[in-house]
Amino acid sequence: MRLVLVKTVLAALCISTLLVTAVFAEDFSLTIPLPLTGKQAKFGEMMKRSYEMAAEEINAKGGIKKKRLLLSFEDSGAKPETARAIVEKLIDTKKQPIIVGEYTSACAKAVAAVAEERKTPYLIVASADDDITRQNYKYVFRQNQVNAHYADSIMDFLQKIVKPKTVAILFESSAFGTSGAEAMEKDAQKIGMKVLLKEKYEAGSVDFKPLLSKVKAAQPDVIYMVSYVMDASLLMKQIKELRIDAKLFAGGAAGFAIPEFIDNAKDAAEYAITATLWTPQLKYPGAKEYADKYKKKYGDFPSYHGASAYSALFVMKDALERAKDWSTDGIRTAMKATNLTTAFGPVKFQDKEGYQNQNFADTYVLQVIKEEHETIWPERYASKKYIYPIPTWRNRKG
Amino acid sequence: MTSSQIEVLLQTLISGLLLGGLYALIGIGMTLIMGVMKIINLAHGELMMVGMYVAFVLFSSFHVDPYLSVFVAVPVLFILGVLLQKFLINPVLKVEAIIPENQVILTVGIGMVLANVATIIFTSDYKSTPVEYATKAWYLSDIWKETPIELSLSMPWSVSFLLAIIITVLLWFFLTKTDMGKSIRATAQDKDAALLMGVNVERLRVFTFGLGSALVGAAGCLLLPIYYLYPDLGGQFTLIAFVITILGGLGSTVGAIIGGIILGIFESLTSTYVGMGWAPVGRFVIFVAALIFFPGGIVAILKRKRFGK
Amino acid sequence: MKRILPPVILVLLALLPLLGLSSYWMHIFILVIMWAVIGMAWNLLGGYCGQVSFGHAAFFGVGAYTAGILYNKAGLSGWWGLPLSIVAVTASALVIGFICLRLRGPFFALGTLAMGVILRVTTENLRSLTEGDLGIMIRERTWTEKTWYFYIILSIAASTYFVVRKVIESKLGYYFVAIREDQDAAESLGINTTFYKNIALCLSAVITGIAGAFYTNYMGYIDPKVVFALHDISIVTIMVVMVGGVATFWGPAVGAVIMVLLAELIRSIPKLGAAHHTLFGILLIVIIIFLPNGIVGDLPKLRKIFRLGRTS
Repeated sequence: MRLVLVKTVLAALCISTLLVTAVFAEDFSLTIPLPLTGKQAKFGEMMKRSYEMAAEEINAKGGIKKKRLLLSFEDSGAKPETARAIVEKLIDTKKQPIIVGEYTSACAKAVAAVAEERKTPYLIVASADDDITRQNYKYVFRQNQVNAHYADSIMDFLQKIVKPKTVAILFESSAFGTSGAEAMEKDAQKIGMKVLLKEKYEAGSVDFKPLLSKVKAAQPDVIYMVSYVMDASLLMKQIKELRIDAKLFAGGAAGFAIPEFIDNAKDAAEYAITATLWTPQLKYPGAKEYADKYKKKYGDFPSYHGASAYSALFVMKDALERAKDWSTDGIRTAMKATNLTTAFGPVKFQDKEGYQNQNFADTYVLQVIKEEHETIWPERYASKKYIYPIPTWRNRKG
Repeated sequence: MTSSQIEVLLQTLISGLLLGGLYALIGIGMTLIMGVMKIINLAHGELMMVGMYVAFVLFSSFHVDPYLSVFVAVPVLFILGVLLQKFLINPVLKVEAIIPENQVILTVGIGMVLANVATIIFTSDYKSTPVEYATKAWYLSDIWKETPIELSLSMPWSVSFLLAIIITVLLWFFLTKTDMGKSIRATAQDKDAALLMGVNVERLRVFTFGLGSALVGAAGCLLLPIYYLYPDLGGQFTLIAFVITILGGLGSTVGAIIGGIILGIFESLTSTYVGMGWAPVGRFVIFVAALIFFPGGIVAILKRKRFGK
Repeated sequence: MKRILPPVILVLLALLPLLGLSSYWMHIFILVIMWAVIGMAWNLLGGYCGQVSFGHAAFFGVGAYTAGILYNKAGLSGWWGLPLSIVAVTASALVIGFICLRLRGPFFALGTLAMGVILRVTTENLRSLTEGDLGIMIRERTWTEKTWYFYIILSIAASTYFVVRKVIESKLGYYFVAIREDQDAAESLGINTTFYKNIALCLSAVITGIAGAFYTNYMGYIDPKVVFALHDISIVTIMVVMVGGVATFWGPAVGAVIMVLLAELIRSIPKLGAAHHTLFGILLIVIIIFLPNGIVGDLPKLRKIFRLGRTS
């Protein structure tokens, strides 16, 4: 009985491989390092789903140069030495000519150093720390905007519409939070906005009220928060509870830009704005399709992390198709010449402002309007008109 | 002091007090377990996480209010704790080992498995129970129209605080009035004497671990409406539980309450007046200070005073 | 036989790079040896002297940051961190020892745990010295090849083994074990327990710190959350020793193999995804239930189990 079962399974396997090989002569296998366990696992998971969706679409359209793109994932647990181990293995034993992936800046730094030493192109998808592409690395490419520019659109919005005089900056204690807060401080000085308060907090804190009551007493025009994940929604909930009436509540991407922010903070999230690198409402080819498909499959819209991961495989496909051979240097040259519009937006790797191989993408401003993230700035991308001034807490319903 | 400074101070004290009540409940389970067994349970936070997922499942599938799910989470966690103690921890405690702390590996392993199983079942997405009253609060200005300062008291935080206090009082009654409770306290104070007095230590350990797990599970249910949930959230709460256990004194419920509230207020004050980035340092500085200057924790100080009279 | 075993193993290990191993395997071996060093260091204090520290990340981190700060602020090569970390780590060990060594048993464990966290947050907050959360990046790693890193960590491991062995076989080791077995009895025999505990702590800390300084040079990037990690450094250290064998010379090495190599192999099982943690967690639970003194510590027991298996 058991034998029969095994035989049928084997036969089925054979047939299925035959079917596949009938279409594809060869496989191109790509292993992606990601955090699948630990605190960052949520983002790893979102990116994994997006990579899978992209690979499916690429294979449905004939693969990369008639080769089937075969994805696999390895969990780095957001530990740099594990991320490094994975990448060393990919370069050495699997002879993978290009590396895509990782999420945290610490891991991306470890991977970038290995990639550069081993002269293998590495495409960074969502690690924001400025330093990574300021090392004169030749083989490291970054598709997402650097942290220093995350708030560009927000600054534009503030300057043109809100015209605030003072700001309070709250940020989480991490590389992302620190560099985001510092970029904001610099930008604020540029437009003559006074920084009343710049405070750090430990990610995952339960109670922000002591910090927030201090903010309340300082009465800033704008509260700018650089927070990962759920800290963002806790901050807004507790701001609502303390009835802190700033002219505007602004978030520096990450935690404010994920759908869980609204799901958890509910009405407290209303009117908050956030920087983001991507929104499902953008008119880039495939952006809406990707977002809808993701939502259908997993129940929620993806944030820019997912979109960047999704598009990264198309950037890779484009480079591989243009490369004269699939040697690491061939791919690097092709990557450097990338000029592609993806669902994530235009991708072009430039050397400027001290960065190398950096894609300077636009950033956008989202506002939570009727419990939805709407694109409000730059105005040419707007899906809804911004709401400003915002009502005080006391005058809001509920 | 200007009125706004007073407002900041009072608001800080209020949040510190509320936070402290929750901290106390998180710590009580550990203080019992550590008191009776002298083991370091690094899976404490993971047990709380399990309790939170119980509440989450009840909320998302049956719309049960997270506060009501205490009644489900407590028995579930009790059974889980009993099983863990009976089949995993007791066998290790029984064998002779060079260093008794080898049970630490066991609890780390248990924590790893619990967190990972939660990831497999629920994915690593952030979950929350968006209850309607999540951001409801009472305001001083609503009661007293021309108040010079504005203070707010969060409704879910206050409910969690009150429930935490009620659970602790019930526990205190249990520990002082029932035979089982008395044996737990006796064992926590002197294991050998308790053995001589005919306490079945092994059964007691199983029961205590179950009770400790149930308590931290209840704490998870009370935390869920004001916090959020993901599989790896356990670690930081384990640390908080350690601090309270030491601050309050091993095995003491009263100590845990006072310790929790002191910690909550201290943390809030550090956040306001030193900087929230330093708050964890403050937490561990009082922890180390308590270890060194008040071995035995707050309870020991209280007792000394009483004997002094 | 027993006498020649260590040099034989050393020679075998030293010949490893000549096999032409891939860079990946060299990385894994370097990590295994590094963890063996940290494990041996912890074993000196925890295994022999009985002071179970939950805060060895403090020493690892101070060592790592000594190298990082020397590179970043003084413009020196990060390798100076190896000798100079001894000073910094000894200083911090003396302070931590002064505070924590008066505590006993689980209280000492918790005290050191707290010190580790305090040092992490302090490092995060001292922006001007440590770059805070941004971490320190070594722009040019000394070698692209791993051979030299391998020999450096191997010689650190060999010296550590030698030092631990000499210390334990001397009078010092005898005092350590006496303190572990019964501190009050040792005291009444006229052993200055505080003094000897401090020696054990400092030795253990210094070795851990050197491993930390090596880590900075090898990985080329450190930040407070990585090198002062409670779970990934302090607790993994304890596990390395406990799984391998407490108070044995070879236990930490065996433990390091399990915690790094086996963990890596389990992690790489395709299709397992995130579930590898469950598998590894169960493995740890099984090991500790059946071998409470670790693999090397319960070797006789292991042998017995296998012999029984053969006869039946």
